[in-house]
Amino acid sequence: MYCPRPIADVYNERLDITRATHIDFPQAIPTSYYIDPKACLRVNYQTCNLCAQTCTAGAIDFSQKPKNLKLKVGSVILAPGFGRVSHDVLEKFGYGRYPDVVTSYEFERLTCASGPTEGHLIRPSDHTTPKKIAFLQCIGSRDVTCDNGYCSSVCCMYAIKEASVAKEHEPDLDISLFFMDVRTQGKGFDAARKRAEEKYGFNVIRARVPKIDQIDSQLALTWTTDDGQSHSDLFDMVVLSVGLDAPEDAHAIADIAGIELNSYDFCKTSHGAPLSTTKKGVYVAGAFQGPKDIPESVTQASGVAAIASELLKEGRGTQTVTITYPEEDKALEEEEPRIGVFVCHCGVNIAGVVDVKAVRDYAASLPNVAYYEDTLYSCSQDALKAIAEKVKENRLNRVVIAACSPRTHEPLFQETLRSIGLNPALFEMANIRDQCAWVHAQEPEEATQKSKDLVRMAVAKARLLEPLAQPTVDVTPKALVLGGGAAGMTVALSIADQGFETILVEKSKELGGNLRKLTWTVDGQDARKILKDLIKKVEKHPKIDIMLEAELESTSGYVGNFTSTVSKGGKTEMVNHGVLVIATGGEEHKPKGYCYGESRQVVTQLELEQKIAKGKSAFKTTKNVVMIQCVGSRGEDLQHCSRLCCTQAVKNALKIKELKPETNVYIFYRDMRTYGFAEDLYREARQKGVIFLRYTPDQKPEVVKQGRGIKVNAYDRLLGEDISIPANLVVLSTGIAPGENENLSKLLKVPLTQEGFFLEAHAKLRPVEVAVDGIYLCGLAHGPKGLEEAVSQAKAAAAKAAIPLVKGKVAVEPIVSHIDKATCIGCGICATLCPFNAIQMVKDGKRKKAETITASCKGCGICASHCPVLAINMGGFTDEEIFAQIHAFSPEGCGEELEAEKK
Amino acid sequence: MATKKSRKKANAEIVGFCCNYTVSVEPSVLKERGLVPENIEFKRLPCTGRLEVPAILDAFAEGAKAVFVAGCKIDECHNLSGSKRAAKRVQYARKILEELGLEPERLEMVFVPRGESEPIVEAARELKMRLSTMEGQS
Repeated sequence: MYCPRPIADVYNERLDITRATHIDFPQAIPTSYYIDPKACLRVNYQTCNLCAQTCTAGAIDFSQKPKNLKLKVGSVILAPGFGRVSHDVLEKFGYGRYPDVVTSYEFERLTCASGPTEGHLIRPSDHTTPKKIAFLQCIGSRDVTCDNGYCSSVCCMYAIKEASVAKEHEPDLDISLFFMDVRTQGKGFDAARKRAEEKYGFNVIRARVPKIDQIDSQLALTWTTDDGQSHSDLFDMVVLSVGLDAPEDAHAIADIAGIELNSYDFCKTSHGAPLSTTKKGVYVAGAFQGPKDIPESVTQASGVAAIASELLKEGRGTQTVTITYPEEDKALEEEEPRIGVFVCHCGVNIAGVVDVKAVRDYAASLPNVAYYEDTLYSCSQDALKAIAEKVKENRLNRVVIAACSPRTHEPLFQETLRSIGLNPALFEMANIRDQCAWVHAQEPEEATQKSKDLVRMAVAKARLLEPLAQPTVDVTPKALVLGGGAAGMTVALSIADQGFETILVEKSKELGGNLRKLTWTVDGQDARKILKDLIKKVEKHPKIDIMLEAELESTSGYVGNFTSTVSKGGKTEMVNHGVLVIATGGEEHKPKGYCYGESRQVVTQLELEQKIAKGKSAFKTTKNVVMIQCVGSRGEDLQHCSRLCCTQAVKNALKIKELKPETNVYIFYRDMRTYGFAEDLYREARQKGVIFLRYTPDQKPEVVKQGRGIKVNAYDRLLGEDISIPANLVVLSTGIAPGENENLSKLLKVPLTQEGFFLEAHAKLRPVEVAVDGIYLCGLAHGPKGLEEAVSQAKAAAAKAAIPLVKGKVAVEPIVSHIDKATCIGCGICATLCPFNAIQMVKDGKRKKAETITASCKGCGICASHCPVLAINMGGFTDEEIFAQIHAFSPEGCGEELEAEKK
Repeated sequence: MATKKSRKKANAEIVGFCCNYTVSVEPSVLKERGLVPENIEFKRLPCTGRLEVPAILDAFAEGAKAVFVAGCKIDECHNLSGSKRAAKRVQYARKILEELGLEPERLEMVFVPRGESEPIVEAARELKMRLSTMEGQS
């Protein structure tokens, strides 16, 4: 605040001004101010020193010097992320010259509620709201002129996201998106893109705009579509969807770590071992390994953790610091409720609409409220500290925070309570951000009133809150892995290498799964060798127990204590294990139509691969090969994009060209989704004369039998006419269908996606966990993916699965159902309804009574809502508490209660 | 010569000969958005160096009141000397106009950075202004 030195706010893409002494953003970790040494007057000119003089904590010490530290470590993990595409590339599109040409980073900040414009979308040139916006894709990607021949993989989806956000802000916006190919190959991305396109009416144009021109402060674009037509239009704003580049200091990192880089300066890895650099002990995760989205980055992050854990298992636990919490102050908890109410501004997120101070003052009038305060960002570290102090100081024993969603922030506040000896259950949240400030942004008065109502209800409930026990249970140190394919074997190996017994259950006669059908990987390695090595390692490992021709029959128990029965050759075997990993895989989709099954000349990509493996002789009479992409995928039999077929097709096309260069190879596609470095293969295929023809879903190519041969009839968009190609071989890219997951899904109570793959707990942040604790997910069972991604994911699942095994104890959710045995009539409705197998019927004297397995209970409350005799109560959500909350909804109700109490 | 040939009645008041590299935006879009005066016709040439004097005079004969030629900047011409040649021819055509009793200001050569439409739009507007002041005087 006292710093006199203004500098550009780099976090806000230089669209705003900050000071040399600043915090990048309020939720930064740690949330402490830092001084930009390049701008600081004291550092550079030995003047000023204002901050050091004014800091009452004396926290600024200019005498500090950089220090070199020596750390002894067993493994190094590189996760430097990605770098920015250079300015020269952007300048080609008028960036820097025309103010209304912005990068996607800038657009992100401009549409952000806590950004420089508080989310109001404006043109940088004249601060007016744009009416017409264009998004240009592949800026600095898929562009050999700037040496970035690869595809950045994420820009298509983020452009659609940014366009959707903009449209939410300004419903009348006219948005055009210019794609080369629409590459939304992520899990669920295609569906999300389709929904957005329909909901917001985006104008999707397939063209690459070469340059931007400005006339009268409007931006003129000219492009040519694939029918050869030239078009022009004017826009108010152009967003450059900038790709991901290698980190600027990639060479320095490589020199320091002693690793090799690939031709694009990303870390060099191989498909069989995507997380290993060229140097043993040094591993890589995230975008430095190749451009990728959040789920893949998070997955890789867990994956390297597994590798490090394998390597360092001897030293495990030797350097850990354990958090100790103070004893719970039981006496204080039992006292008459003394409630503290903290109302959060959330910057402008809440305070921009709701009158936070009025809500705070209102809280003072509520019964049992002993302390009330408003905070700027309750979740920031210093605010949490302040809250803890206030709670202690005022001997508060219940805390209500009126802020955002308990889904994201409750654990944080509960942790604060624990740290000062209060039971975390003595906490209640009122979500005045989502439910007031956001949804009633246009009605500030009503929003304030509703905030008061919510706070009153929360206080009413808080008065009745009781501390809940936080039990822990022991873990059986053993893992059960379902599926013996590449993913399953990798998981088993990793868990075993981390020091735990692992049982690998495979349905068929041999290990290998789909990897058995591959001959080489996308980066040209021998897939059979990878498979052989993997099988050898698994078979030799003393801690892995392989069960072939075996299937899971039933599973009961909970995280740390599962008991499963596995059937093998008519016999069943009982297994106790602490965790379970689903790696059951998927299968190549077998399509209908396209003469598949009718003609021997129509095959799938995997069948082609086996043919290619036989060598040149298999193509003796082959002149024309036609490949058709998205057969069955993206809206035919399967709704999803299978992610890897485009790369697979290009890989096989190149192999054919290598075997017999004079063969004509045609590929009919909808969008070529050769994302990441596979783009190189795509370009190589085009250079080697593979002919790519785009088709739309309403004009699909047709395969027709003609005498003894076959031909493919299609519409050629470039020629603008129907063509007919006589083919010796038609290859269908049929995509990946989920395996028979339904049974397993019911058995384990793990939900499936609409497409029939297993659903992860959170698409971005918990990509290898599922809704049920102690069960993990990887490989094709999760969704279509190539070997490289399956291996990363398997490693990630192994890391996550090892956590409870390593800890040896699991904490049980405090919010569980509690069954009052005396009231229970043993009807069993709750046990059948429980989605987590968490209620069992136990003989109690003559009758059976329901009993909650607290470790399995997720606290969903289904049992409590269905119990005919109200024998079930949920911890933290007892009937009394809920009723109190409902009564408090009407202000009179609250008053009556008060009076009743007085009497 | 011009009068002998039967010519379709041209409506364009201003004709702009543009080299392929100067105007990138479709002229129809410029007109639709009202960025250029009405009654203007853009004629796209592979290179302004290809433009012959009679073609310029023809434009006037067809009813144009003013004509501009937009070529690359002298030292940036895609065909090295194309716009230099065009400038010479424009100079010559202006002399002819003068001999015919027309103001030479009705013909203008502009040099435009490659691929930028704004200077051309400005040239068209400037010429339109010039025309209206000329008409005001007469």
